Amino acid sequence: MKQVALSINELREAVLRLPDDALTATRKAALANLDEHGLPTVRDEDWKYTDLGTAIDISNRWLATGATTADTSSLGKSIETIMASIDANWLIIANGIVDLTHFTATQGIEVERFSESAAPFVMDRPLADLNAALLHDGLRVHINAATEKPLGLIVIDEASTGAAVSQASVEIMVSPGCDAEIVEYQSSVGEGDHYANSVIALQVGEAALVNYVRIQDRRIGHVQTGRLSVSMGKDSQLKMASFDLGGGLIRNDVDIEIGEPGSVTTFDGLYLAGDGQHIDNHTRVDHRVGPASSTQEYRGILNGRCRCVWNGKAIVHVGADGTDANQANHNLLLSEHAEIDAKPELEIYADDVKCSHGTTVGQLDDTALFYLRTRGLDKRQATQLLTHAFAADLVGRVPVAAAIDKIQSLVEARLADLIQEDAS
Amino acid sequence: MLEINNLKSRIGDTEILRGLSLSVNAGEVHAIMGPNGSGKSTLALVIAGHEDYVVTDGEVLYNGKNLLDLEPEERAREGVFLGFQYPVEIPGVNNAYLLKAAVNAKRKHKGLGEVDAFEFLKLAREKMASLGMDPKFLNRGVNEGFSGGEKKRNEILQMAMLEPSLAILDETDSGLDIDALKAVAQGVNSLRGPDRAIVLITHYQRLLDYIEPDFVHVLSEGRIVRSGDKTLALELEEKGYDWVREAASA
Repeated sequence: MKQVALSINELREAVLRLPDDALTATRKAALANLDEHGLPTVRDEDWKYTDLGTAIDISNRWLATGATTADTSSLGKSIETIMASIDANWLIIANGIVDLTHFTATQGIEVERFSESAAPFVMDRPLADLNAALLHDGLRVHINAATEKPLGLIVIDEASTGAAVSQASVEIMVSPGCDAEIVEYQSSVGEGDHYANSVIALQVGEAALVNYVRIQDRRIGHVQTGRLSVSMGKDSQLKMASFDLGGGLIRNDVDIEIGEPGSVTTFDGLYLAGDGQHIDNHTRVDHRVGPASSTQEYRGILNGRCRCVWNGKAIVHVGADGTDANQANHNLLLSEHAEIDAKPELEIYADDVKCSHGTTVGQLDDTALFYLRTRGLDKRQATQLLTHAFAADLVGRVPVAAAIDKIQSLVEARLADLIQEDAS
Repeated sequence: MLEINNLKSRIGDTEILRGLSLSVNAGEVHAIMGPNGSGKSTLALVIAGHEDYVVTDGEVLYNGKNLLDLEPEERAREGVFLGFQYPVEIPGVNNAYLLKAAVNAKRKHKGLGEVDAFEFLKLAREKMASLGMDPKFLNRGVNEGFSGGEKKRNEILQMAMLEPSLAILDETDSGLDIDALKAVAQGVNSLRGPDRAIVLITHYQRLLDYIEPDFVHVLSEGRIVRSGDKTLALELEEKGYDWVREAASA
């Protein structure tokens, strides 16, 4: 099976049409990388379960029709709805265009545009290169003190007709000793085809404490790829939770780099997938020194014809003694057409380490279903209660208080839809 | 109220009930006793509608209706309650939420509106107090981390809130200490009434010291082999189940 290639010539023309600014050199360097390596295919080990064909097809159609950026004014209402549901100080990237009009200048937070300061570091990873090559502008945020409201980031896109592509790139630096709350909300609307690609870098300073929530609520059918790269400072702490509720083809890469001792990282992920969805979560934790701990728990509820992937990699490098790395992935399959590829990968090159991993794939517990039905609940009500219970642990651990209600209602609504899709 | 005629049921290839007949009228308390494996729990699960138990012959009439035609939830809404021998732990499902959903499912079936949240909580707390249950159990996951005795009290709490017409309590006494046993018995006794029938399934006579049955039946190898009044339970306790088996096969 040969994957369609990205139209690199048309891509080059699109890159050259972008304004000449602080990002120009980076765009060219990224384009050269991309030209040399191309995008990953299912022959690459990290991509064997996820075919980027749809993303490439949308990109090529978008490039062929002039690679224009849609007007963002019609997104106003969707943005307002998100802002009304979570009380945060919002940075917005709409159709790839940075919008700071909803952000309130706050002591302790500095925001700069890449175009007015310095370009981001080129990651030399194909999708990050695509991101850097086509980037209009990005944001660099320094959090120097705790703030009353969480920092919010809305990445939202609209594809009304045809095909559209957008890039978002954000760097967040949390200063040493600082507490920070961050909410990332990815969403999209419109009947057209859309491909969104984001790169977020988070630097957690020494003894800093970061609580981070990610919500992906894109229109069913839209495509998202995204990389979150985290570096953990000495004695720092990160609590993170991600929720994948929408989208068509979704691929999230989370990389956590532990290069200094003493940090504690916990991250959860919940993915709810129904007909036609493909949600792939790839995580990688590099323990380069010890002691440090990382704990991840991903859970999925799948119904209809869908496929999900969880690939959790933890690498304990030579000398990273005192590492404690834990991975868990649990899946509930409500349909015989739902498919999960669950793959824990532990590579351990140090002696004094504690590592654990566990994956489960199961159906609803018949005994519990029967019990609930003998109490008068019908099959659908009972199913809904049990799936809800399966998700409840993670929903109960959302580390940013301002986002809890919204996440609860999003999860409830999505589960109700999923169960409507009649388990078969 | 409940009329069981020549009921035969199997699970997989194993026939468990082999022509069981039983008649229970409103206002009566029946005790069904029998050795392990005699079919006591199977009878309870067949009446509640567990789909693993296939009924091969006979009928179960409830207020003249064929109970076997109804889904488990329909039986519940019609007023049939099964207190489980092993109540299921359902982490993540809030106990109060389930209680309320159950009460509302029944109310909806009767054409009534949803229960008032305040009244519901007040009533639940009252019932819990009389069962010696800590109100904090309302906000725990259903039976999650409950001890054996707490689980059984929780079953009785559900029964008290649902006010069934026909309650079948499967080994409700097993795993209870004497205080819990008394509390559970009190809960059951307070539900006794002219419109209600209670079927106690038990291995031991002990429970019947606290809940006095009108009738005692002995189940053996899937059939009721002997029926009598409460003195039968005492006789059984004294002579053991072998006595019944011998009597049945003689």
